[in-house]
Amino acid sequence: MKLLFINFTRSNNVKIGLSFIILAGVISLLVGKQHIEKINRSVDETARYQQEHIERHAEYNKDDLGLMLYYIKFSLVNSTPALNALSIGQRDVNPSVKSVTIRTLEAQKYDADLNNPYNLLIGNIDFSFVLIFLFPLLIISFTYNLVSEEKESGIWKIIAVQSKNPLGFVLKAFGVRLLVTIGGLLLLYAIAVPVLGIAPDADLGKFFLASVLYILVWFAICFFVVSLQKSSSFNAIILLTIWILLVFVLPAAINNDLQNRYPLPEALETTVKQRKGYHEKWDMDKELTMDKFYAHYPQFKKYALPEGDFSWLWYYAMQQMGDDEVSEQSAALRKKLGQRNTAASRIAQFIPTLHLQLSLNDIAKSGLDNQLRFLDETGRFHERLKLHFYPKIFGGAPVTSENWDDFKVEVFSDETTLSRTRLYTPLLIFIVVFNILGWFIFKKRLHRL
Amino acid sequence: MMKNAEVRIAKLFWKITFKNKAVFILTFIIGILLAYAVFTGWENFKTQDEIRAEYQEQARQDWLDNPDKHPHRMAHYGHFAFRPKTPLSVFDFGMESFLGSSIFLEAHVQNPTNFSEAEFSTGMLRFGEISIAMILQTLLPLLIFFLGFRSIAAERENGTLKILMSQGLSRKQLLAGKSLGMTLVMSTLYFPVILTTVLLWTLLQEMNISMDETYRLLLIVVMYFIYLCIFCVIAVIISALSKTSKTALTSSIGVWLLLTILLPRAGQSLGSYLYRPPSKAGFQAQIENDILKTGDSHNPDDPHYQALKDSVLAVYNVDSVTQLPFNYSGLVMKEGEKITAGIHNDHLKRLRGIYARQNSFSRYLAFLDPYMGIKNLSMALSGTDYNSFTDFQDQAEEYRYHLAQSLNDLQIKHISNTAKSSADPASRLDKRHWAEIEDFEYRPLGIGGAFRSELISFLSLLFWVLLLALILNRLSKTLKVL
Repeated sequence: MKLLFINFTRSNNVKIGLSFIILAGVISLLVGKQHIEKINRSVDETARYQQEHIERHAEYNKDDLGLMLYYIKFSLVNSTPALNALSIGQRDVNPSVKSVTIRTLEAQKYDADLNNPYNLLIGNIDFSFVLIFLFPLLIISFTYNLVSEEKESGIWKIIAVQSKNPLGFVLKAFGVRLLVTIGGLLLLYAIAVPVLGIAPDADLGKFFLASVLYILVWFAICFFVVSLQKSSSFNAIILLTIWILLVFVLPAAINNDLQNRYPLPEALETTVKQRKGYHEKWDMDKELTMDKFYAHYPQFKKYALPEGDFSWLWYYAMQQMGDDEVSEQSAALRKKLGQRNTAASRIAQFIPTLHLQLSLNDIAKSGLDNQLRFLDETGRFHERLKLHFYPKIFGGAPVTSENWDDFKVEVFSDETTLSRTRLYTPLLIFIVVFNILGWFIFKKRLHRL
Repeated sequence: MMKNAEVRIAKLFWKITFKNKAVFILTFIIGILLAYAVFTGWENFKTQDEIRAEYQEQARQDWLDNPDKHPHRMAHYGHFAFRPKTPLSVFDFGMESFLGSSIFLEAHVQNPTNFSEAEFSTGMLRFGEISIAMILQTLLPLLIFFLGFRSIAAERENGTLKILMSQGLSRKQLLAGKSLGMTLVMSTLYFPVILTTVLLWTLLQEMNISMDETYRLLLIVVMYFIYLCIFCVIAVIISALSKTSKTALTSSIGVWLLLTILLPRAGQSLGSYLYRPPSKAGFQAQIENDILKTGDSHNPDDPHYQALKDSVLAVYNVDSVTQLPFNYSGLVMKEGEKITAGIHNDHLKRLRGIYARQNSFSRYLAFLDPYMGIKNLSMALSGTDYNSFTDFQDQAEEYRYHLAQSLNDLQIKHISNTAKSSADPASRLDKRHWAEIEDFEYRPLGIGGAFRSELISFLSLLFWVLLLALILNRLSKTLKVL
């Protein structure tokens, strides 16, 4: 075993492969660090500008609270755990900060962040990319010519004759390669944890254990292919084809399918309809709007509509109608996104690459689920703001009655956790199935020379 | 004896390749994938296009259904611009999924382009999408490498190279013959596929194709052919330089990984690392500050508008704005729109400049990596690149500005200075005016625009052709037989 280890690690290919993966891993950690810093910078700037912005409007519109609140935005931050740096997921697409006024929510809820679409298209080299895309290649390059190379060079005959247990020899060779690979992974974690300031908590444990299992899945696949005992070139081509199927073709094909199966006309319907829902009220009988508004918020019945052409009570009631009249479409959109997500994680159980990516995103709070919960929270945040300000506006409170310094950026922490069974089971099944298959085929064919 | 040696080698290579069963299996898999790509690409195009057209029409109808009202109310009612998908997006999805599809156009405000597919994606999008272009760009080159790694290395390994040479075959003929053979093999796969695709695509379009699209498609066919030829020659060169076919295979796979997976990401990462764009909050705050400095129409004491008022009063020789023969607040609104739109566009231009610098790494990378060259060129020709998107944004902004200013003009012309508020019946404008403002209609960029923006990608592919010719030429003198 020791000899096998020394022999293996001395090989030039192994040194190149390992240094390459470590280098890619370190780059991915830097990319992740930069990603987190970008989010933090954006949060800091939002906090600073929110304060300046509120101060300025409190000064400009000091006589009119309704007018001031027409302009000012309040921000909600989707808290970003340090693990996010390891699995950026959708956090480069979706904003981690939502800024809303107390006007119609639907018109602002989905406002896109500033993004360079080319960056999004090409994708990040984050740690999950290195783990999901590159580690399997390292494993393939370590194992594709096991047995086949010995057979091609004639050494196998000697091993078969000299060793009582040739399968034991193969297993030891795999064991050595597994140890070296896990060593590489551990080294990357040892760098990542202090550099990114990741807390050694349960989430990190899950993240790490899932990565180890994923590596075992690939060893099992390679073990199975090697057990077929074909030529080195054949093994290389087959393993690469499996890799391409698992990291490109299947996930991409499923993505195409999900997009087509769940198209989202509701998004456009909501946005077009909410505009009408609010704007047409300008030309309708005020009573109609007010009746609907009082029906939604009975607690504001005590504020009667004042005389005159315009009042903030009526104005914000109109704005509320923008949301109220699309509540059905908005709920349908929310439901469909949930369906997309459920369909994706169900299919992912059969595709380890996809399963790992979605699970790591879940743990790192960078998946669609997290985004949906953040959007839901944005809705609640908007509601809290309205319920706080509506009585003051309708009651004619002066701008100075608020302590505007209290309105800091709020933070939303997503506390949902991914169940361990759901995380580990699909990976474990893959490991067991391929190892058993490989074991039997090896037993049957190993003595053929 | 060896007059047509190149052609004979090529033919032989072709025959041997297609005797191999594995080739059929791989070709079959890629064939199925292509069929799937055409199918889903078309589905997606049709669904999205219908959805967007439907709501564009709905939005217009809502606009026209507005009763008589103050024009500024209409300016706030606003309109929507939905980005239509280009027909060639069926071929190459490009950035399509990362680009927003709708903008709300209203007075005073430049809204973001919302609702990209990526915003609603589960994170699977990271693995990419299957389009015909993706298959041609990444999977076909890999297939070419699988078919070509043995081309010369195996002959050397078996010792047949020695025999060929001793029979009077020159190195040049060998290299040319094998390259030609690879190209033949590739063409037998490529042309049926691309012809079927084009045919299907034309049928699905119901033969209704513009000249511009025909040129785009022709260029796509030619450029992909060149791109795949580049990989054929690279495969032969790698094989020629390798001692055994096993090393040829591993080197080919390494090169493929580098070109299609690693370099693109590394280039873009470096670009975005070096050039830092502002955050959204920062971007908006800068615009707000600039507007405050130049002139804020919402601030009653703003010096810029004070000066405007004074000069107008002087020209018309009256003491107050109510005596003016036109609606003064309409004029203020018009000036405000001009200032804010100008400032916003300046900042947007600067932001896009930063993005362009980030992307320049990917663009120039094409001289190291032909994959980037074809990727950029293909997106531009299919109208799914960043440039086509900003063109849409610009047209939408132009329309928004035109909409707001037309309504301000209506206000200046038709609304009395004595009207108290926009709710005053005297300030209502007849609704027939709403139809006078034409609907938003996106006019896609012509092929010239695509060509200009991707000149570098085009040149990079030419550069590759020259470079490989040079390498082949050099190898034809130095190639080792043993």
